[in-house]
Amino acid sequence: MSDVLEVRDLCLRFRGYSGMSEVLHGISLNVRAGERVALVGESGSGKSVTARIVLGLLQELPSAQVDGGLFFEGEDLNRLSRRQWQALRGTSISMIFQDPTSSLNPVFTIGTQFAEVLRRRDPKLSREAADERAGTLLQSVSIHDHARVLSAYPFQLSGGMNQRVVIAMALANHPSLLIADEPGTALDVTVQAQTLKLMHDLVERSGTAVLFISHNLGVVREFADRVFVIYRGRIVEQGPTPAIFEDPGHAYTRALMAAVPRITGGGLPELNDSESAFLDPMVVHEGGKA
Amino acid sequence: MTPLLSLRHVSKTFGSGPRAVHAVRDVSFDVAQGECLAVVGESGSGKTTLANMILGVFGQSSGEIWFDGNGLPTRRTLEHRSAIQLVQQNPLSSLNPKRSVGASIRLGLDVFGIGARSDRWRLVEGALEEVGLPGDFRRRPPAALSGGQCQRVAIARALACQSRLVILDEPTSALDVLVQARVLRLLEDLRRVKGLSYVFITHDLSVVRNVADRVAVFRAGKLVECAETRAIFEDPQVDYTRQLIGAVPVVADDELKLRESLSGGMLA
Ligand SMILES: Nc1ncnc2c1ncn2[C@@H]1O[C@H](COP(=O)(O)OP(=O)(O)OP(=O)(O)O)[C@@H](O)[C@H]1O
Ligand SMILES: Nc1ncnc2c1ncn2[C@@H]1O[C@H](COP(=O)(O)OP(=O)(O)OP(=O)(O)O)[C@@H](O)[C@H]1O
Ligand SMILES: [Mg+2]
Ligand SMILES: [Mg+2]
Repeated sequence: MSDVLEVRDLCLRFRGYSGMSEVLHGISLNVRAGERVALVGESGSGKSVTARIVLGLLQELPSAQVDGGLFFEGEDLNRLSRRQWQALRGTSISMIFQDPTSSLNPVFTIGTQFAEVLRRRDPKLSREAADERAGTLLQSVSIHDHARVLSAYPFQLSGGMNQRVVIAMALANHPSLLIADEPGTALDVTVQAQTLKLMHDLVERSGTAVLFISHNLGVVREFADRVFVIYRGRIVEQGPTPAIFEDPGHAYTRALMAAVPRITGGGLPELNDSESAFLDPMVVHEGGKA
Repeated sequence: MTPLLSLRHVSKTFGSGPRAVHAVRDVSFDVAQGECLAVVGESGSGKTTLANMILGVFGQSSGEIWFDGNGLPTRRTLEHRSAIQLVQQNPLSSLNPKRSVGASIRLGLDVFGIGARSDRWRLVEGALEEVGLPGDFRRRPPAALSGGQCQRVAIARALACQSRLVILDEPTSALDVLVQARVLRLLEDLRRVKGLSYVFITHDLSVVRNVADRVAVFRAGKLVECAETRAIFEDPQVDYTRQLIGAVPVVADDELKLRESLSGGMLA
């Protein structure tokens, strides 16, 4: 299968605060059509910035310096004009941002914002038709009182309801690449299972490629085909999901696995201080590379 | 001993008439000093609404909230405001985007008069370091931090205020499990040393299992089950609780076994 997304040797530096700070030190990863790839790792290691670079958002920030290859469906994203890149967002590439509430506009109702999303693909869509489609999509993320939700402002909804609205919006235009940054954090486990199934179906049905960022290793184990583990701006391990979970090779991955709180109890995990080993070279499992 | 926090028949309705939303319905529970009560349940079941009422963001429609033996008025005194702190659900939007994160933390210290004036920046840096962030992050605006870094700033801000009750609304959802363990240990230490109490709202039942003394399960605005943590996980009385535990994504085989024994609903 061909790559829908390929990121090659991506570097990122920020100017400011305390001089130059290097955030990404040459990240490479790929997602094929119909594949679910998880990016997991340390808080602050560079997951969200990687996603924003793929969308072309960080490049607009004057203090950010981005280098490296970015390819979407074989096309070199770096050669697109700003307008062409923008046109991909919300249509062929869609993104679920980490904080659902701040990715919605506080002064417009959900219905208005949903119509705008749907019109990116279908500019002549009437408001009635948009509300009807939005209602169906909200139903699929377990929002059953969709009339109330469509006429509500984000502050009138719960954290998890806003998150589901954002998920429904991201799936609305049948993207070929979906980037989901922590999509289930405000959902109870039964609703979470249902949204994962929805994303799963989308992948099966339309061959969507999913880049899935998550701290929930239980979800990653159940959802992802392949996993990339990131620590301080470097990929430290990559491979098919079963290999990563059954045979983690890198010291950081092992420490992560050991720190997962267990539903069977046993108290908080002991923290081992083998942090110097976290900088060891990358571990690649068979089948992990395209 | 009087509980630190008591809710008696608390309800909250938004709006009125046929479009009214009954967000919280007749909820009663206590939190003892030094106790960690986990609040779990359905998305949209009224957990954040409950947190906002305890904090005094808005009043309850009916019922009473007691703190340390006194009824809490809707308009809070400075003392109440420093005694009860909230870590909000959305890390990125809960911090003022126009202030440096250090200034956001310091604001609480200034308002509540904590520490000597000349000492406060040092306290701010210490608070950041306790949650695993470099002290010089205090100069950054929230936009220059990752999701989990913002979340840790929000926790640092609440803990720096030397409060007695902290309401944590999804406090570790944006943290990797190693940083999460560190933050949970910090909370545990403060509870042991200073007798802090927590209302810990979360969807992460694996965390609940390992940190909470008791668990309150919510569904559609109602408290459907409230019991000791062990009892909730080993002998849940309500179908909904069983469904929840049965749907937790897990990483280990013995966890799968526990899950399956519950999700069938065939518990003895
Ligand atoms: N200001 C408001 N105006 C109108 N309705 C509101 C308001 N705030 C909350 N609600 C409604 O109250 C209900 C409970 O919301 P709340 O935010 O308390 O849920 P929650 O349990 O925190 O959910 P989640 O786990 O998704 O964060 C929801 O139906 C929500 O739409
Ligand atoms: N505008 C900025 N200026 C300077 N540093 C920044 C800026 N934006 C992000 N950073 C830094 O870049 C690093 C990577 O941030 P990113 O948001 O990608 O982390 P993350 O892996 O998504 O973490 P989390 O799991 O906590 O969300 C962080 O250490 C952050 O502090
Ligand atoms: Mg992030
Ligand atoms: Mg909430």
